[in-house]
Amino acid sequence: MHSRRGAHSGPAGAGVSAAPDKPRTGSLLHFADELDRQRPATEAPTGAELHLVTFALDREEFGLPIAQVREVIRVGEITRVPQARPHVRGVTNLRGRVLAVVEIRTRLGLTVATTTPRSRIIVVGVHDRTLGILVDAVSQVVKVPADTVVPPPEEVLSPGTDYISGVARWNSRLIVLLDLEKVLSLQD
Amino acid sequence: MPNAFLVVDDSKLHHQMYNLAFARGTLAGSTVYHATNGREGYTLLAAHPELALVLLDLNMPEMNGLELLARRRTENLHPHIPIVLVTTEGTPEDEARGRAAGAWDYLRKPFQPADIERVVARALERAAPGPT
Amino acid sequence: MAADENAFSELIQDYIVECLPLAEQVGDAFVALERRWKEGDPGDNTLAALAGPLHTVKGNSAMMGIAPAQTVAHALEDICALLTAEPRLRGDEGAALLVSGSGMLIDLVRRAAGGAQPEAAAEFAEQARAFITSAQTGAAASESAGESTERRAGDRRITSRREEAASEPGSVVRVDFRRLDALLEVLGEGMIEQSAVIELYRRLARKVGPSDEVADLDRALLALQKTIKRMEGILMETRLLPASSVFNRFPRLVRDLAHAAKKPVRLVTSGGATPLDKAILDRLGEPLIHLLTNAVVHGIESPEERARAGKPAEATLDLRATSESGRVVIRLSDDGRGLDDASILAKAEALGLEVRASDPEQLRALIFLPGFSTVKEVSSLAGRGVGLDVVATSIRELGGTIEVSSRPGQGVSFTLSLPLTLAILRSLIVEVDRERYAVPLSHVTATVRTEPDTMHQINQKGVALWRGDLIHVADAGELLGTGAPPNGSRRFYVVIGTGARRRGILVDRLIGHQDIVVKSLDPTVGRPEVVSGTTILGDGKVACILDVVRILDQRVPV
Repeated sequence: MHSRRGAHSGPAGAGVSAAPDKPRTGSLLHFADELDRQRPATEAPTGAELHLVTFALDREEFGLPIAQVREVIRVGEITRVPQARPHVRGVTNLRGRVLAVVEIRTRLGLTVATTTPRSRIIVVGVHDRTLGILVDAVSQVVKVPADTVVPPPEEVLSPGTDYISGVARWNSRLIVLLDLEKVLSLQD
Repeated sequence: MPNAFLVVDDSKLHHQMYNLAFARGTLAGSTVYHATNGREGYTLLAAHPELALVLLDLNMPEMNGLELLARRRTENLHPHIPIVLVTTEGTPEDEARGRAAGAWDYLRKPFQPADIERVVARALERAAPGPT
Repeated sequence: MAADENAFSELIQDYIVECLPLAEQVGDAFVALERRWKEGDPGDNTLAALAGPLHTVKGNSAMMGIAPAQTVAHALEDICALLTAEPRLRGDEGAALLVSGSGMLIDLVRRAAGGAQPEAAAEFAEQARAFITSAQTGAAASESAGESTERRAGDRRITSRREEAASEPGSVVRVDFRRLDALLEVLGEGMIEQSAVIELYRRLARKVGPSDEVADLDRALLALQKTIKRMEGILMETRLLPASSVFNRFPRLVRDLAHAAKKPVRLVTSGGATPLDKAILDRLGEPLIHLLTNAVVHGIESPEERARAGKPAEATLDLRATSESGRVVIRLSDDGRGLDDASILAKAEALGLEVRASDPEQLRALIFLPGFSTVKEVSSLAGRGVGLDVVATSIRELGGTIEVSSRPGQGVSFTLSLPLTLAILRSLIVEVDRERYAVPLSHVTATVRTEPDTMHQINQKGVALWRGDLIHVADAGELLGTGAPPNGSRRFYVVIGTGARRRGILVDRLIGHQDIVVKSLDPTVGRPEVVSGTTILGDGKVACILDVVRILDQRVPV
């Protein structure tokens, strides 16, 4: 059973699990536009572009196609589920719907996250499943020209890291592009 | 002025079909009354002297088509309203019996909306003067 | 097929909605009549009453341009007319035609939206014609012409319609079940919101202290709770359908299986009026079909074997449904050969499982484990008799339990226990190492304060003396992997049970009873053994629901 109604604020618990205070529809795009306005692109976009939501894990920056991102929420209470699959942190209440939260750090070989006020859950849709990815911070929404994407360098690749679909070099930053489906195939 | 029709049939599907047929072409805008058995049909027939045509199914529970026709004749109810018997089979004897009972015409299944339009057109041409 | 040029083709779903129940009604009646005719009872005018529905299906199929269904319905109508007029012809041959024809008709109507193959229909019409002709040639000696038989039958067709039950009273509506699901979802949200409001009220009340307004609010919330409860009750009722809606497919299934297996088997059903949530009913069909198939193909002996064992030639399958304290119990028994305990034991040992041969119940429960087929022959009908683990999983997913009992040489009995509803669960909320869990009340036998003199250790496993019995007691923290070291904080244990099994679970606190809305576990999380779902508590936090049945099934760790 999942809540499908819009503009529905979740039960006001201890404050941490409150729903975002922006209207749900278009909230991410609104956020994206805001950030874009603050930091204008240095190049005029030519040809194909990748519209990405970028987030940080430790000091690395990663990107997800915006088409897969439903929304970004603060981290509320995450309930542990006994005997859950590896890399599943637990479940959380998203406006009356129970959302699985994936610990992407451990999936990518890093240590478990300690949540800080900057931590976020990126709610993504893959096939017809919706789930959350716990990240250290969400950076911004960027438009990256497709021709700045190169295959990941040999040193970055290791067996079992087929979830990296490429690396975008943009504004002297390296954004590691993730193939969500591969990331989420938690067949460990 | 849009015409009024009465359809008497115990099949919901047929009523839906009639609605479709009476919403198209020359019949668009018609008023259609629905009855699910002969008894209801008789009541509605009595209540609407302005009907242009009645489409009457033969096989129904609680007073079938022939019985309705027989009662109509006995009580001489609205003799000016043409009643068309709708049926699957049609041996010459069946038709003769139907007409003898007072059916003005036969409509054989399966029919398409165009067949209804034709029957209605014929009925309107031959309509006896009566309240419109 | 002329359906594309057919102006009514958009009504195809309505056609199915009207004609499928009619075809099924006719089909079920034919199956029942076949049985009666076999027993030598030519019956009353049930047959005559079936002409009406057949006529309707024929007419509707003609209107929709679905020629094969029209053909089959017409052929059935003709056979019915003949057999109505000539009771002496009511026997196996006619019955077989009626049953197979109606089966075909049901299939044709059901698949009408997708197009149907005309060849099978034409073939059936041929068989019908052949049957009628040969019967009439026999009858022709005493009749003037074939037409007059049909004419009389035709008249009977028209008059018999009057004997039919009146069509649905106008107070019944057809509702798309998805609307009821949507209603239930919204109700569930309402209940969550209600819990949240109540939680806020409690906090406010504590802060503000007693006052008139608080008392008024208290009363108003109580009234709200009662109303929502009533809504839940009424909504649950609308979702209820009688067990017969899934049972009524089975006589035909058993008949077909029995034919194919060349064993006479009959199915007796009872308790068809027992109500069940449609969502459960929809998913109950498959596991029951598995069980029935297994019973006919593997459980029932060949006629020769049965004769040697002194059993009646015709085997009996007994399927009954009853409601018992908030659950529905469905029992399927057969009078076949029963489970082969020796085979099960051998298979268990081959799989490396430890079993106590002295405990036949525990032994037989093993048949629900995957890979546990002890059937040696492969049959095209039922594969290797496998599927019991699939059956058990399906039943478990419905929040139910399945148990088996057997008497060697005398038969097997499966008992399914199902909740009345899937969606809203009355549960006990407990706390363990600061995590909260919901325990379905239907499986809670008791809650007990831990007293040192009732808690013991035997072989380093916890047991408790409860109502004169020694029951195994597990630590919830250990069971659920909370990771906290034991610190003597377990004040209570909850006795959970099903059937004859009981177990205690040590917890820190009992929070209270709550009606919770069950939200199934997202597959992303995996398939935990101890948790069957999640729910959202009044304070907005998610809590896991304990899978009591699985926990009870768990073998006590060595």
